[in-house]
Amino acid sequence: MPAIRHASKRKAPPAGFTDIEDDLLIFSNKMKDAENAGTDNVPRHAVHWPIFQISHQRSRYVYELYYEKEAISKQLYEWLLKNGYADAMLIAKWKKTGYEKLCCLRCVQTKETNFNSTCICRVPKAQMKDNQNVECVSCGCRGCASSD
Amino acid sequence: MEKHKAPTGHSYYYNAATKQSTYTRPVAPPVAGPVAPSPVTPLDPSQSFLQYQAVGNSIPSAGPNFNNFSQQQGQFSGGRGGFQGQSQHGDRPANYRPRPKPQPNDKPKSSRPIPGHEPWALVQTKYGRRFVFNTAKNQSYWRIPDKLKDGILALDQSRIKEKAEALEKEKQVNSERAPGAAERPALEPKEAAQSHGEGEDESAEYEELEVTDDEGEEGGEENPSKRQKTKEPSQDEPVEFDEDDIAFQLAAMGQEYGLEPGEYDDGNLEEWDEGAVEEISYEDSAYLFKDLLKDFGINPYSPWEKLIEEGKVFDDIRYTALNTMKARKEVWEEWSREKIKLLRELRAKEEKKDPRIPYLSFLQKNANPKLYWPEFKRKYKKEAEMRDTSMADKDREKFYRDHINRLKLPQSTLKSDLLSLLKAQPASTFNSTTLSSHLPPTILADIRYISMDAGSRDALIDTFITTLPPPPESVPEEETEEAIKEIKDRERRQKALEERGRLVAEEKRRQQRNLEFGKGRLRVEEAEIARAMNVTKKGLKNHLMTEDSGDKPS
Ligand SMILES: [Zn+2]
Ligand SMILES: [Zn+2]
Repeated sequence: MPAIRHASKRKAPPAGFTDIEDDLLIFSNKMKDAENAGTDNVPRHAVHWPIFQISHQRSRYVYELYYEKEAISKQLYEWLLKNGYADAMLIAKWKKTGYEKLCCLRCVQTKETNFNSTCICRVPKAQMKDNQNVECVSCGCRGCASSD
Repeated sequence: MEKHKAPTGHSYYYNAATKQSTYTRPVAPPVAGPVAPSPVTPLDPSQSFLQYQAVGNSIPSAGPNFNNFSQQQGQFSGGRGGFQGQSQHGDRPANYRPRPKPQPNDKPKSSRPIPGHEPWALVQTKYGRRFVFNTAKNQSYWRIPDKLKDGILALDQSRIKEKAEALEKEKQVNSERAPGAAERPALEPKEAAQSHGEGEDESAEYEELEVTDDEGEEGGEENPSKRQKTKEPSQDEPVEFDEDDIAFQLAAMGQEYGLEPGEYDDGNLEEWDEGAVEEISYEDSAYLFKDLLKDFGINPYSPWEKLIEEGKVFDDIRYTALNTMKARKEVWEEWSREKIKLLRELRAKEEKKDPRIPYLSFLQKNANPKLYWPEFKRKYKKEAEMRDTSMADKDREKFYRDHINRLKLPQSTLKSDLLSLLKAQPASTFNSTTLSSHLPPTILADIRYISMDAGSRDALIDTFITTLPPPPESVPEEETEEAIKEIKDRERRQKALEERGRLVAEEKRRQQRNLEFGKGRLRVEEAEIARAMNVTKKGLKNHLMTEDSGDKPS
């Protein structure tokens, strides 16, 4: 059994955390709700979509605070990554050309998909026939090519 | 021969000599009838009423902007909550998908002179929209002038009668024919010979139709609507009616009843009295939207989705200053960036001004009742808060002792102490727009602020802020020239937007009135059709006769 660490003993977050505390709490609550939501009427493959989506949203939130709005310090940003408020791997992808809007890491893994290629949601809209309606199986993404 | 454009965008040709318009360039000059001088009727836009038919154009106006946005920004939809601006406000379904825009491929289908208003003709398009065409002035209008209403009403009534008559004939013909023939809708033989072939109606055939104002020229003394009631459709009537027309008419009625004024807009909005609506520049619109964000105390650190999910800004008129979600998000982004920068600068300045603020916040995090001051001092001697030279060491010690002592007090005392601190703040620095993350220094530098644990303290302050009044109108010390200009600019933008809102509302009301008028007319038409349909073979003549004699005193 892992040691239960008391909240007050955890290292206090760096300055600026109070600015974003409330919004992070909203994300946490959403995540809890999604985790506890009944999935009886949800197709098996779509069960985890809401969790992927909230996790994506929260990572995006942290990413934008640091890289786009310059609203948080480097220390706080790193603390957030370390404490699981954002997915460092996913953010690392966003910094690469062509992956600016990537939905999740699963969608760029070629092994697990049937066709041994990346997910359908990575195909630019411009290359799709007649506004074909995409909803990828792994995370419910409707298209995340950079040109979309 | 001149080329012109109907309001549909379809070109047609107008022969000035014969006063004839055609949709295809005529090969030989048409035979001109006697040309009567047509009175020039000026069109007064203020007297006009709006077109009420808009079949094939019932796409709700609110849709496209959001659509565009979700197409550009949205990766996901459905699921819980909003994602990438996907959350919808109102009752729009969460997985509302972009629809292809309707392709406006409308073109004039028929034209009929409006009885009693000779130079004017009523033109019906393929999609059932109607516009009026002044054959004398060679101009088309979507908006139908008030004075033509009676004429059009008469025209519609006579048309319905004709349809009923044609239907009656058709029944007659069908009953005389072989049973199989009844399946194919047929016109009376004589009419069928002239007709342009009902099956090919949508094809090139009807483009050959002439739009003439013949009837107006040779109408003579006889009231054309009267004549149409009792006679066969006259030879010079360029267009035949078929069951498509009737079906269309009924479909249009059905559709008409369910429509909201905003939904049946047929392009008239472009024809508003220009000049009355002052255009608001993009820059001003962006400022209006920023004012909105500021006034609602939006937290610049919060994600965009939160703003949309909460939806509390939707009802403010300034939300409409920008008309696409993309523009709103861009301005929001710009605003939050500016605001965050400002807040950071402000905080840095305040902390510099008052070293107590960072020190107290440090105490709150690290003070420990088990540590005496010398132990505490030794433990944290390397921290910036403990080394700041702008603060005397003995002040640090005093704060530490006071704070440790206060921690022994009951929660209720700490709470009431904090509340009295909050109540003592002036409205100019502490009001409903204050962000709980950016409290005035007079609070932050007070020891009462750090006595409660941060969680319950912040909750208490948040609640307290919601009970505060808005900031006072003008802050005297800020009345520099720049501040005054800023306030004036703000007022000007607000006024312009309100004025625009007022005009939009007025136009909406006008459309509503016209819709009511249209509905009333449709009810009359419906009743007429229902009555006409009920008339038996034998009864038709009687029916029409009683109808006619009803007009005269018997
Ligand atoms: Zn994707
Ligand atoms: Zn994905």
